[in-house]
Order: sequence, then structure tokens, then C-alpha cells
Amino acid sequence: MSRGNLFISIILWAVLLLFVIYPLSFLIIESLKIAGTNQYGLQNYIDFFKDPYYLKTFWNTLLLGILVLITTTLFGLPLAYILARYRLKGKLIFTALILLPIVLPAYAGAFALIVLFGKMGTVNLLLMDWGVISKPINFIFGLHGLVFIQALHLLPFIVLSLSAGFTDIDPSLEEAAEVEGAGGFRRFLTVTLPLCSPNYLAGAVIVFLWPFTDWLTPLIFGVQDLLPSTAYINIAYHFTDMHRKYMGIVSVVISSLICVGIFLASKSWVERKKYTALSKGTTLEGRIIQPNPWIKLSSYFYMFLIGVLVLLIPVVLGLSAFSRRWVLQPFPTFWTLDNFKLIFLETPLLLKNSFLFSLIALIFGVVFGLPAAYLITRTKVPGKDTLDFIITLMLAFPGIAVGVSYLLAFWEGIPLATHWIIMPLSLFVRRLPYFLRMAHASYLQLDISLEEASEVSGASKLRTFFNISLPLLLKGIFVGLVMFFIMAFQEISTAIFLYRGGWETLPIGIYLNWHRGMEFGIAGAMAFLMIVIIFILLLIVARIGGGILGAAWGSSGGRY
Amino acid sequence: MIHPLPPSLKGKRANKKEETRMDWRRVFTFAVLMTLGLFLVHVQAAEKVGWVGPVYKELSDSLMKGFKEYYKRTYGKDIEITFVRPGGWPVCVDKVRAWKGKPDADVFLGAGAPAFEVLEKEGYLVPYKPKDWDKIPDKWGGMKVKDEKFMWTCFAPWIVTNLYNERVLKALKLPVPKTWKDLLNPIYREYIVQTLPYASGTQHEVIEIHLQSFGEKEGWAYNRLLAAQLARFSTGSVDTTHMVSRGEVPIGIAQPQMNAMSARADGYPVRDLLPDKTILVPEAVGLLKNAPNEANAKIFLDWLFSTEGQKYVLEGRYFPARTDIKFSVWEKEGVAMAKHAKEALGVDSFWDLKVGFINYDLELATKRWDEVNRYYEMEIYRKWRELKSSLFLIEEVEGEIEAAKKKGVDVSKADAKIKEARKLFEYDGAYAQARLAASEARTLLVASTR
Repeated sequence: MSRGNLFISIILWAVLLLFVIYPLSFLIIESLKIAGTNQYGLQNYIDFFKDPYYLKTFWNTLLLGILVLITTTLFGLPLAYILARYRLKGKLIFTALILLPIVLPAYAGAFALIVLFGKMGTVNLLLMDWGVISKPINFIFGLHGLVFIQALHLLPFIVLSLSAGFTDIDPSLEEAAEVEGAGGFRRFLTVTLPLCSPNYLAGAVIVFLWPFTDWLTPLIFGVQDLLPSTAYINIAYHFTDMHRKYMGIVSVVISSLICVGIFLASKSWVERKKYTALSKGTTLEGRIIQPNPWIKLSSYFYMFLIGVLVLLIPVVLGLSAFSRRWVLQPFPTFWTLDNFKLIFLETPLLLKNSFLFSLIALIFGVVFGLPAAYLITRTKVPGKDTLDFIITLMLAFPGIAVGVSYLLAFWEGIPLATHWIIMPLSLFVRRLPYFLRMAHASYLQLDISLEEASEVSGASKLRTFFNISLPLLLKGIFVGLVMFFIMAFQEISTAIFLYRGGWETLPIGIYLNWHRGMEFGIAGAMAFLMIVIIFILLLIVARIGGGILGAAWGSSGGRY
Repeated sequence: MIHPLPPSLKGKRANKKEETRMDWRRVFTFAVLMTLGLFLVHVQAAEKVGWVGPVYKELSDSLMKGFKEYYKRTYGKDIEITFVRPGGWPVCVDKVRAWKGKPDADVFLGAGAPAFEVLEKEGYLVPYKPKDWDKIPDKWGGMKVKDEKFMWTCFAPWIVTNLYNERVLKALKLPVPKTWKDLLNPIYREYIVQTLPYASGTQHEVIEIHLQSFGEKEGWAYNRLLAAQLARFSTGSVDTTHMVSRGEVPIGIAQPQMNAMSARADGYPVRDLLPDKTILVPEAVGLLKNAPNEANAKIFLDWLFSTEGQKYVLEGRYFPARTDIKFSVWEKEGVAMAKHAKEALGVDSFWDLKVGFINYDLELATKRWDEVNRYYEMEIYRKWRELKSSLFLIEEVEGEIEAAKKKGVDVSKADAKIKEARKLFEYDGAYAQARLAASEARTLLVASTR
């Protein structure tokens, strides 16, 4: 072990200590403080589980998680099967389409749905105009609406992971089942589904845990009695009622513990149950079936339905982006470019901040991620596995936990939160694993046999590295860069805790313009702009390294 | 997960490692220098002033623009303004408390009398008499407009109102609710929205109006009944304005008077509703104790009460407080909002309004400031579902008793029981017991019909 590696390791650990462990430990310490005394203890946790209100928020959140998971699974399973198995036209475009909700902030979709399905939204207004109903129907406000929007947002995770699972299955296993006489549905239930359960679980965990991290969408839909929303209200609005504040922090810690716990449990389960290692005859595409006309038709119909649902959000945002005051009318009537003029000319600050913060976060990410990837994959420095473990854990940590812990840790003592550098710093920490995961994934795809083949063919090791390894790695690194940028660009749940006047980013601008102001047009234009920027970036990613993306997302990845 | 290097590769890697080590050092040095550089760029001594308070974005934007221009023009220097808006009045008061006498701002901008009285009582304010202090009335309609000890002075008065969307009410064929009691009419159930008193000072004042004009017991009973009428709780007074403007919920409780003006100026079909019992809110400013930029804060306060400052108040969509101004004159001078203000108020100056207020006890309001917020949140907001199911059951049984009475059944026992249930609900807020009593009343009713 060289001194250089040790040096890198020490620096990386120092960064982790200062920006991850130090702030997060504040969260634990604060949650143990007993209000009105100088003592520490588990009293707050006991209070939490004794107080009927907090207990209610806990069960509500659990219920929401289960409902969202059931909904996404019911709708995602057929879709994943169709995408993975049937020979259909337009599959590629559709796959790109279905990625769209992931990269948009969930609440932007919520706003679009309110315009469409709200009590005075397009659907209700049309129904009332046609005389079908005399009073508006409540389509979305309440738990059902929350399940709908969250399921729509999270559907891609289930579809991506399941279709990766269906593709990875060794066709010979299913063929064997068929030969033994298990046809059709029975084969699907007894062979196919169990085989892709690890893949399903990877996606399902992200879906199930989402309600434990998303506090904003419930507030928009008027469902406050959930763990993260209550935590947000307790922490963001109370500064002197210490017991309340601590209870908020306890809620954050409990959410985090559930997220990390379930994440780790599923991870270890997935690693134990990987069936793909057995496979021999699998192809890149997996098993593709030519469907009969009826199945084909219903598949297209199903894809069309989901496609419409997914496209609703960008279409509605687009319409409102080019209109003004689209209120109490089924469709916009006044078309304008003013919203964009405002964003680009009068308040270019948000756009500038978004790019600047994401770019600085990206630089931090690369400066940290490249040596970390190198250290983890190519050296034997002690503690590197722990390093990897901590970084991976950041995938599961709710944004609210990062935001709150940063406020607690970097206010007095190390007053970083008074400087705008806290914004890119927190983005960097929140999206810490992204770059690393991509680098990892590309290392995993860089099969050692390729290098060996090159050497057997007579190339020197140096030449092998530059001609074979490096180009393959670069692709992954580039995809990692873009994905990191996208995820930093759309981050809000941490940033909203830390921003001060003049540090607003585009996602915060969408929130402020919709939720605190009156201008949905501007919010819509901002969201539309985000969709365009992110979609262009996604296209670049898809062109350059779709396979790597699938590998990093489909198997055990996730972003929250 | 990681591919081990084949033994054959290991030997030759030593040289490469030496190179990469150098590279990493350079990268780290670069990163450290860059981080430091980022900090240095922004460390510049500049003139500063900080505000904390609940005023809306339109006002803070307008005041920032106006004061920056004024400062540059008068002192030849730029001034950097920071504005902290953690939430409604109580949230802002709490923020100041959390600073523990070492404030991160100089001026408390916005909020009504009780918030300032609380701050004064707890020792977070120092007196300052702005230059044009005399242009602000002492009292109006029996309500205090400025503090005689100069702790706070009103710069933008308004009246507590409700808000409704006229187009949606029309579509639903509902009349406009004129009084507080009207709002309890079952026809408005699920068509009303309000927020928590902790999230909005206006909402706090509304509850204070109920408590002081109906009496404490009746006031809380009213709030329980009103809560059962709500479609949902909003996250703050702006959120309420927003939901009413968009028509999601047609009636919004607890709105500053100028919100209707602001929304109408933006083209939304909303109107304000002056309820039968209301108060004046003297939206005020005060100087914080130990303000880090006291000199600039005083310059700002003087400017805010000047005619120029007051014009920016109006452009920020609040009504100006000086007695010597006329909207019609300002309209000719090109103040865009003057026209809307005149339309909204129907008079040429805010103080020309003829409104009667309740007998508002500021001292009492100050004393129970935190308690009102806490009680509402714990006993009504957090038990909202329980509250509704309890009341709805009581209403059902009451209906059954009424029906039985018409059939000539002796309902005296059931009637006494259901009255007890209502009392338990309205006055004690014992929702579970009220439910139980209602069930018992139903059993008694069934027994007497046999």
C-alpha cells in the first residue's frame, strides 16, 4: 500500500467526516435532547410512539407506502413484461418517455395534475359545461390523489427494474418449464416472477420508501398527517418550542432509519438471491416473443394509456408555460411568451444559480468521486469498504434529513450555511453516490476478459489500457457526470431548507411561484424549461451510454 | 463486485501508480484552492441592512427596489438588503426569539400589533421615532395604530377580511356568506379553506376576533364548527388566496384586505368580504435590539414613512399609512396600483373608510398569543378527522330525533342526551365522549320508538 493511496483515503475520509458524518450526527444528538433540560435520553422517541398524533403520521406514511407500491406494481408489471418480451414497434421511444417522470421533481407533476383534475380544473369544468355534473368532483385532493401522483412519479422505477429482470432471465429456464408442461400463466407465476424478484425488490424499495422522504407533494394535496410533512412543519416553522422541534427531528431520524434499514435489508437479500449468475444461454435482449395480434393490440392500447398519463404532465406544463392565467377555463385562452421573457431577462438569477450550483456540485462530485472510485475498485486501502458503504447509504437518506442536519450543523460553529457555497455543497453530498455508482457500473461492465483478449492478441498492457479500458470507462464517467448534473439540477428537498434570498434555484422558483405566489404561468414555464434541459441531457445519456444507465439503475440502484 | 487484477498486471502498475499519485495531489490542491477562492470572492465589506418579517413577496420586492435606488441616490453607495421570511407572524416572532437577542436582521418588517407587543414585552425591540411619525394616526376606530413609546409604527394598515371567488360561487349557485355565522351553514361545507393561526397572523387575529366578540367558550365552539366546514387546511394565507383565486375552494378565511385587490389586479374573479365582526391590523415596523446595522435600519425606517417610501408600499400592493396622501393624486403621478387601491377600497385614502370594529383587547391578545396558536393546533387541527366524524354523527342523530318528534314519539330523553353530546363537542372539545353520547342518544331514541 502506497503513501499516495493512504493520503487520498485520508482526504476522502476527512470530506465524509465533515460533510456527512458530522452533520448527520447532529441529527441524532438533537433528537436525544430533552426539551427544557440539559439532559439527553430516549424520552423524545418514547413520546413519539406514545403521542397518538405522531403515531398516526407513522401509520399513515406506512399505509401510503404500501398503497403506492401496490398501485405501481399493478400498473407496472404488465408494462414491464410488454417492454421486455414482445416484439413491438416504438418500444425505444416509449422507454425514453417513461423515464420522464423520474427526472422531473414530483411536485411539478402535482401542479400539472391540479390544473387538469382540480376542482376547477379542465376535466371538472368540461363535465360541468356539458351538464354531466353540477358540482365539481374531487379527483385528486386527499389520499387517493396522493397515491395517484406518487405512483405516476415512481412507476418508472418498477418498470425499469422489472423489465431488466425479465430481460436478464435465462430463456432456457422458461423453455425448460414449458417442456415440462407449465405453459402460459402458470410458467409466469412459478418461474418468471420468482426469477426476477431481486430486480423487483430493488425497484420496490425505492417506491415504498418514497412517502418517507417526500414532504412537499402531500402538503400540496392537503394531506399533512404524514411523517415527513409533519417533520417539515415542526422544524421549518418552530424555533423556540424545543420539544416540538425535537419531535420533528425524531420524525426525520425515524424516517431515515426506516429508509436505511429497508434499503440495507433489501440490498443484502438481493445479493444473496442473484439468480443470474447461473445463466448460460442468455442474450443481450433476453427472450423476445412475437405476440399474436390480439395481445399486440391490447399491448399497444395499454402502452398508449400509460403514455398519455405520463405525457399529461409535460403537455399541461407546456400549455401553461405559453399562456397566462389559465384559471377557471378548460383550456388556456391567452397565449404569450412573457413567462419565458421573465425567466430569461428579468430573473435570470434562478437559471444562473441552478447551473452554477449544479456545476460546482459536479466539480465537487468529480474531485471526490474519481479518487473514491479508484480507491474502492483498484486498491486495498483499509476502510475502503466502509467508505463505499457510507457513500452508498446516501442513496437512502431522505433529502429532508440532509437539509435539516446541515442547518443544525453549519449555523453556529462552522457557519457555512450563511454562505451560498452551502447550496452546491449540500447538492454534492445529497447526490454523492451518483457519480460513484456510474463509475462502478462501468467498471463492472469493463469485463476483465476484454483486456485479456487484447493482451492475447499481442497488445501491450499500456496499449490495452488506453485502447480498451479507458474508452470504456470514459463513457461511464461521462454518463455519471450528466446523471449527477441532472439529479443536482432537479434537487429541491434539501435545497429548500438551506436557500436564502438570492440563492433560489429553478426548482425552488417553481415552488415559490406556484405555492407562495400567484403565477402558475411562470412556474409552468420554469418546469417546462427544466423538462427541456433535462430531456436534452437524457437524450445525450441515452445515445452515449444507455446500457450503462440501465445497469446502474435497473439492478440495485435508485436515487433517493 | 470488483474484478481482482490478474497477477500478471500487478508488476507493471507500480510506475503508473507513481504518476497517478502526483495527479491526485494536484487535483486536491486545485479543489482546496478553488473552495477557498469561492469564499474570498464574496467577502466584501458593503453597506447592509436586514429585514425579518411576514410581508408578502410583492412588498419586499418593491421596497428592495425603492430603497436601493434611494440609498444609491442619497449616499452614493450600494446597499445590500437581506430579507428573512420564515413564515407568518408567529413564525417570524419565533425566529426572533430563537436569535436570543443577537438578531440576524435589523428591522422587523410587517405583522400587526400583538406580534409587536409580544416582541416588546420579551425585550427584543428598541424605540425609534421615524421622521414622519406624526403623519400616522395614533388610533383609528378605537384601535391602536402606532406605539406611543415608539416601539412600533404602522406603515400599511388593513382590515381582516375573508375572500371569495365570485365566479365559482355563482357556478355552485351559492349566496355570498355575509357574517361569521353564515359560514356555518351546511351549504358551504367543503367549500371553505383556512390555515393554522401559527402559520398566519391574520388567521391568529381571526380566532382572536371570535374569542373576543363571541366570548372565549363560544369562540372556540365556533372554531370547532367552522373546522368541520373546511375542505382542507392551507399552508399559509398566500396559499389560501391562491386556492380561492384558482377556484379550488371558493371561500377563504382570514385574508389581509389587500389580497383581494392584488388578485383582482392580476385578473382573478375574487372579492373581499368584510365580515360582521372584524378589526384593523396596523401592519407595522420596529427596530430590533442589538441590530447589527442600526444606522442603515434607521435610514430605512425614515424612508419607509416618507412619501416616496409609501409609494413603494402601494406598488408592493399594501395600502399606505400616511394621512396626507390621496390615491387619485398618486394615480395622476403614475403610481400604477393607485387605481386598483381606489377601486378596492372605494375611497381616496385608507383612513376615509367607514368601518366599525369589535372592542379589541390588545393586552389580552398579547398575553395569550402562544396559547391560542397551540390550542388551535393541538385540539382542532390535529384532531380534525375525529372532530368531523364526531360532529357528523351528532348531526345525524339530531336529524333522527327531529324525524321521530314529527312522528309524535316522546324524544325527551334522547333530546337531553344529544344536547349533552353537543355540549361535550362544542364547549369541551371532547370529541370521543361526544360521539359516545350521540350513540347513547340514538339508543335512547330507538328505545322510545318501540
